Amino acid sequence: MTTLYINEEEITVSAGTSILEACRSHGVDVPYFCYHPELSVAANCRMCLVEVEGWNKPAASCCTPVAEGMKIHTQTEAIKKDRQMVMEYLLINHPLDCPVCDEGGDCRLQDYAVAHGASHSRYVEAKRAATNHDLGPFVTTYMTRCIHCTRCVRFADEVAGTGDMGILNRSDHMSIAGIVEEACESELSGNLADICPVGALLDKPSHDVSRPWEMTHHQSTCTQCPNGCDINIESRGDEVMRIKPVEGSPEPWLCDRGRYVYDAFRSDNRILEPEVRQDGELLQATWDEAFDRAGDLLRGKRVGIIFSPYWSAEGLASIRLMRDAVFPDAKVAFDLHRRDMRPFAFEEGFSMTTQQIEDVEHVVILGSDLRQRLPLLMQRLRKRGNMGKPVSRIGAMNYRTNMSISSDAIIRPRDWPAVIARAMQQVSDLGQTAAGMDTWLAAVPDRHEAGKVLADSLMGETCALLVGEEIRSHVDAAALIHGLDLLMRACGHAEEGNDGRNLIPEGMNAQLLASAFGDIRTSAGDLFASASAGELDALVLIGSDPVGDGLFPSAAKAALSKVPLIQIGAIAGEIGNSAEVQLPAAAYSEVDGTFINMEGRIRVARQPIRSIGQARPLWKVMMRLAQALGADVPAVDMTELRDRMAAFAPELADVWKDKATEEVLVPVARNRDAEALPARLDSSFDLDVVSRYSMYREGMWARASDLLLAAGKLHALNDVIMHPETLAAKGLKEGEHTVRTFLGEHSCHIGVREDVSPGVLFVAKRGVAGDLSDVTAASIVGGQS
Amino acid sequence: MIKRAFKTWFLWELLVGLSLTGRYLFKKKITVEYPEEKTPLSPRFRGLHALRRYESGEERCIACKLCEVVCPALAIVIESEERDDGSRRTTRYDIDFTKCIYCGLCQEACPVDAIVETQEFEYATETREALYYTKDMLLANGDRYEKQIAANLAADARYS
Repeated sequence: MTTLYINEEEITVSAGTSILEACRSHGVDVPYFCYHPELSVAANCRMCLVEVEGWNKPAASCCTPVAEGMKIHTQTEAIKKDRQMVMEYLLINHPLDCPVCDEGGDCRLQDYAVAHGASHSRYVEAKRAATNHDLGPFVTTYMTRCIHCTRCVRFADEVAGTGDMGILNRSDHMSIAGIVEEACESELSGNLADICPVGALLDKPSHDVSRPWEMTHHQSTCTQCPNGCDINIESRGDEVMRIKPVEGSPEPWLCDRGRYVYDAFRSDNRILEPEVRQDGELLQATWDEAFDRAGDLLRGKRVGIIFSPYWSAEGLASIRLMRDAVFPDAKVAFDLHRRDMRPFAFEEGFSMTTQQIEDVEHVVILGSDLRQRLPLLMQRLRKRGNMGKPVSRIGAMNYRTNMSISSDAIIRPRDWPAVIARAMQQVSDLGQTAAGMDTWLAAVPDRHEAGKVLADSLMGETCALLVGEEIRSHVDAAALIHGLDLLMRACGHAEEGNDGRNLIPEGMNAQLLASAFGDIRTSAGDLFASASAGELDALVLIGSDPVGDGLFPSAAKAALSKVPLIQIGAIAGEIGNSAEVQLPAAAYSEVDGTFINMEGRIRVARQPIRSIGQARPLWKVMMRLAQALGADVPAVDMTELRDRMAAFAPELADVWKDKATEEVLVPVARNRDAEALPARLDSSFDLDVVSRYSMYREGMWARASDLLLAAGKLHALNDVIMHPETLAAKGLKEGEHTVRTFLGEHSCHIGVREDVSPGVLFVAKRGVAGDLSDVTAASIVGGQS
Repeated sequence: MIKRAFKTWFLWELLVGLSLTGRYLFKKKITVEYPEEKTPLSPRFRGLHALRRYESGEERCIACKLCEVVCPALAIVIESEERDDGSRRTTRYDIDFTKCIYCGLCQEACPVDAIVETQEFEYATETREALYYTKDMLLANGDRYEKQIAANLAADARYS
């Protein structure tokens, strides 16, 4: 610790802190432009000058570390004069077009010009002009306003990892340039507008539309991925204008999906009022009429319920209460990406926080396109990588990560047992084992070299496994996860506390879903199969889109052609075309609700924006549905609902009463007795099908957002991709081919890419490739040679 | 005592009062025969609002919304977007003259002299609706009174 004096006041900070950070942490105002707490120090704006007693020149406080007994003054006359001159210098080439600049009113340069600048400039010569750049669909540039603080350059380098911005020339000719004019390649590009302290980089979708002072702010939780970032929804009236990160939250950035999905909140795809199908057409109806019709379709019937995990915890609990009250025998499904419904040794959710994952010795990503799936976690891993800590990966494709992966292997999904077995072999050769490991090992005849990557990482003192959807959606997932659990135990990662077992869930609230629906859940595929087989009379779909998302689109289509559909949700989507009744439920920005993220972190949204149309919170719709079907309403208000909910997750009760602190985490379910041995999977097909999660295309909300769809086109790969050698071995080349699966034969265009593992048919666009998402294996039977 | 009786009996105070009335009776009249005649107005008179254009015909307003935020009566509503040529323009500029208190703050806030108050005050209407002015009506006001506005601004320029 170092003791120093700031403006005569004695303070103590840890050694190595910069003067600026010391001032910031003690509430002393020092102006700055180029400094950013999450970025490296550049010290090029010179705005943060302070006076240090005994030094003959002012010091740039952001890059000067504190020293014992240092006496710092931040408000002397000389410093005020210096700041005035720095401001005058920075404003030499600035166009001062604040009235037409979107940053105006929320601009550091503007604020400091008032607080620290002189009222006039002595500069009368011509101002410099600069060329604007095309930085993708989300960022618009006005480079003449740039003050060259290089925050964006450091952001692209250190946070986004794309490194495609830089500085050209020097002095008066200095300019920021997108060296590859595609900073848009980053899934975090929207943050560029936030970090720019002036109006040079601006938000493109909301450009020239609103002013900062017109906004009402609503703090909420983003439910676009399991990470559940804190978001600040800015609205004007009832319209969402922007979504921004919350300052001081665990994730200081937001991904483009979470930020620009607001486009869907006001899209034409919203279900705004109850609708009932009459003569083949959906027509607006009153709530009573809609519930009557739903009652006719559901009363006394065998019903299947499918819902999305993205509702608030209250909404999800109300689904369970409604089901228990009205359809005590109904099966429910919520996971569109899970084929194996046996209990997993460690269920969906993280046993570690993202901070712990950043800090551990080794991180292994198993079968996940993490940059698309959890962009903010990927950013934390990138930060780790910048500090020289290893990140390894095994998967079906060299997914782009924008960081250097320390060890890497590409495999086919059918090799997963062999990979784990190889790792077990290596571990047991070193004399480490766990109860049951030998049996598991004996069940797998093959060994795959990629297992070395896994075993090497597990040998460390601490380790985080990030198990992705290639394993979670594997047909033998329970066995693989049991194998991984054994492996972790053998390597001394005891099963307790933050033990490194992290299974990436499909959506939010995974912990609550496991405890509230564990006993009644079934696979979505099975549910559709029983609907097609005539074992169900109706489907209730609550905010999910199995036709557009997930692994069962053709099964869903088959089921929907047999049974009537009651759709409850905020977005209609493609599946809305087959709904008999549509009931509007409020979006996540429009509800008072609790959200649990993958780490178990609890957030309660208390200041929702008003819902548009006639949308009501999901729990009200559920309770009303129960009433319409003649049952006693399980809960009539939020308090009652939450009392009932506390049975599923007792941790929540304290949070609602504001008694709990930030550290309360909902634990992930464990199944210690879930032993599953890998089965021999014989397949008559020679290719493994892997379908990819795309953040710009997956999920109803993303597909309802024109902004994200436009961005998705930029990030698009070919619909179906294979390794060139696999194709060449069949005497074929890139082009139209006929693919045979258990569903029949399809014709599709197959592109080639070296990144894909040999033997894998990689479906880059799930929705577009249609039925290929349903299958795990395929063969090519003909095409261009 | 005698003086008081004299004033009382000869209605002296009434005469004094009537003499004032009498003087005015024969003085030159100052009554302005409105609407045939009108009083002169100050260049700073705050009447009906107008949106101005540049000589090229381009509208001045850049949708900075400073008038909207400064308006104490919340009478102004603006919506904006980026026009095809990349410039920032309003898509809606409404003033509700039933709310407006003619304080002139909008005119003071405007960085491009787009919104101004003219010397026009004869716009009484029979319905409230007619007092909700849209962007087109305000621009038409600007076109109609541009000569007057320019003259007033010029006259007032030395004091601002």
